[in-house]
Amino acid sequence: MEKVEKKYSAFMNFLRTPTPTLIGIYLVMLILFSLTSKNFLAIQNIKGIFNNFAVYGIIAAGVTVVMIGGGFDLSVGSTAGLAGIVSAVLLMKNIMVPTPVVFLIAIAIGCLVGLINGLIITKVGINPIITTLGTLAIIRGVCYFWANLNPRILNVFVQNLGRIYIGNVFPITTVYIIVAFVILTLVLKFTRFGRDLFTIGGNENLARLAGIPVDRIKIISYVISGFFCSIAGLLLISQLGSGRPEYGTGAELEVLTIIVLGGVVVGGGKGNFLGVFIALIIIQTISNGMVLLDVPVFMRTVVKGALLVLVISIDAIRNRKNLQLY
Amino acid sequence: MAEIKAAEVLGRKKSRLNNTATLFIILVAMFGVFSYVGRPFFFSKLNIIPMLNNLSFIGIIAAVLTMVMVSGEIDFSVGGNIGLTACLVALLLSKGLPGWLVVIIALSGGLLMGAFNGMLVTVIGVNSIIATIGTMFIWRGIGYTLSNGESMLAINPVIDFIGRGFIFKVIPFPIVLLVIIFVVTYVTMSHSKWGRKIYAIGANPLASYLSGINVKKVKFVSFLLCGATAALGGLILTSLSAVGMPQHGQGLELVIVSSIILGGTALGGGRGQILGTLAGVLILSILYNFLTIMNVYYFYIQIVQGSVLILVVSTYEIRQAMARRRI
Repeated sequence: MEKVEKKYSAFMNFLRTPTPTLIGIYLVMLILFSLTSKNFLAIQNIKGIFNNFAVYGIIAAGVTVVMIGGGFDLSVGSTAGLAGIVSAVLLMKNIMVPTPVVFLIAIAIGCLVGLINGLIITKVGINPIITTLGTLAIIRGVCYFWANLNPRILNVFVQNLGRIYIGNVFPITTVYIIVAFVILTLVLKFTRFGRDLFTIGGNENLARLAGIPVDRIKIISYVISGFFCSIAGLLLISQLGSGRPEYGTGAELEVLTIIVLGGVVVGGGKGNFLGVFIALIIIQTISNGMVLLDVPVFMRTVVKGALLVLVISIDAIRNRKNLQLY
Repeated sequence: MAEIKAAEVLGRKKSRLNNTATLFIILVAMFGVFSYVGRPFFFSKLNIIPMLNNLSFIGIIAAVLTMVMVSGEIDFSVGGNIGLTACLVALLLSKGLPGWLVVIIALSGGLLMGAFNGMLVTVIGVNSIIATIGTMFIWRGIGYTLSNGESMLAINPVIDFIGRGFIFKVIPFPIVLLVIIFVVTYVTMSHSKWGRKIYAIGANPLASYLSGINVKKVKFVSFLLCGATAALGGLILTSLSAVGMPQHGQGLELVIVSSIILGGTALGGGRGQILGTLAGVLILSILYNFLTIMNVYYFYIQIVQGSVLILVVSTYEIRQAMARRRI
């Protein structure tokens, strides 16, 4: 409704995301946890915090791309589960597919799921929430085809994939996340694909009129999401040491929470990976702190939900440009 | 989406009728085929009555959630609401409170949850998808905390009657509730000023505001009612299973939202019919019941669930695209 959007500097734009609120809450929690639990600042614990968020972080990388383009991907947990269990089955002793081939197959599965999601969403024109809700159920069902095989991961290379610590301190999974986030940031900032994606997220009709191949860009964003899901699936079986069909259940909600807290706007057009990364660390620290403080496991769900509601509410109030009439 | 809306206005009445009628034809056909293929179990009193009981709370919630969705919002927290209500009921009964008081407290609890959602969406202005995903966590977590993660017996004459009682010794009480809720919501949506307002808000909130509709009030009341009916659904489920568990209603929001969308309600609001929702609920419930009777594994049912959702919405989208081309 307003006439001219005021130009803000990058720093001011950052202040307008939910991230500063989140950092405020984080600092309070950090002080609280450090004072009440002497194990919180132990190096062993911090290592654990960083290694624990690998799967959600990798998935969040892909979903952030989709959400910036105005899409939605709820099928990520199932896709990671499918890539994980298929690779685990292929790595079983009596099948013995070479490891690189297994990796390629896992990635192909993820990309294929993303491609299917993207085709249904763009070519048929179904709402992305509905489409991915559907594929979530379908893919999870497919995972259960291998339910009674119960494969264990004995392959050392795959085992190390998600468990190595660089210099015995820094988890390699965090390196993956940082690399993924940096590459995606560069891609979104400096390539035509990235700029088109932001345009589509901002105003899809406008992007179409401006001659941007909207459908193609959107499909690519879903394929990227599927690709990162397959990597997350490999990390899952690596860290857990086995393949089970239920791996990754509920990841979509965790990831959605992280991304929204990280300042990516539902509906697209706004968002950056720095915010998502900060949100990722914060969510993990809070989960970890609650474990150390012996918060009952059921209360942790309440706290997580309340945090989401709180941050989003503060964000909504702060960013209200004019009186909201309807 | 703007250009689609214009096309819809031109061909609205006719196409809506067609969609709902088609759904009921599909429903009757499915029922016939299933009765034949699944004989003698499918079409027997032992199957039909429990199936209707199980579908009653889904239908009750779906009817009111349709109102919320037509107004352009969504409520994912209904499943969590059921879990919290179930635990609350069982906890209060174990403390020795009389049944009627427990029912009143449970329904007021539902109203409170609805009010909280409504406040987040209307007063604070949070996107309803995100807000209700957050409150879904909160309700479910409180349910777990209340019950300490255990399932508690919930046996009391009043509570028993809600899910397992009979009116005139033949009609199950949940079915009566289902019919009442559907009649009330149907009349509200199709024949009252309030219903007109909901459709108007869903189609264009700004225009509705400018023409003098209190948009926030209408949305808030829809959320309020949705919370209360979800609590009623929780009461029915608690009564049917005779236990209050925090896991009650887990994943139910997806079944309910699928049914509503299958019934022809648009996600962005402004389009949808209560009768369509009824057809959607019946079709999905009958389908899952049939698959269970035919001894299909649960994970195959999951695959069917997802495929049905995508297929149904695709046909709608394709038909709409064809209608647009005609204009």
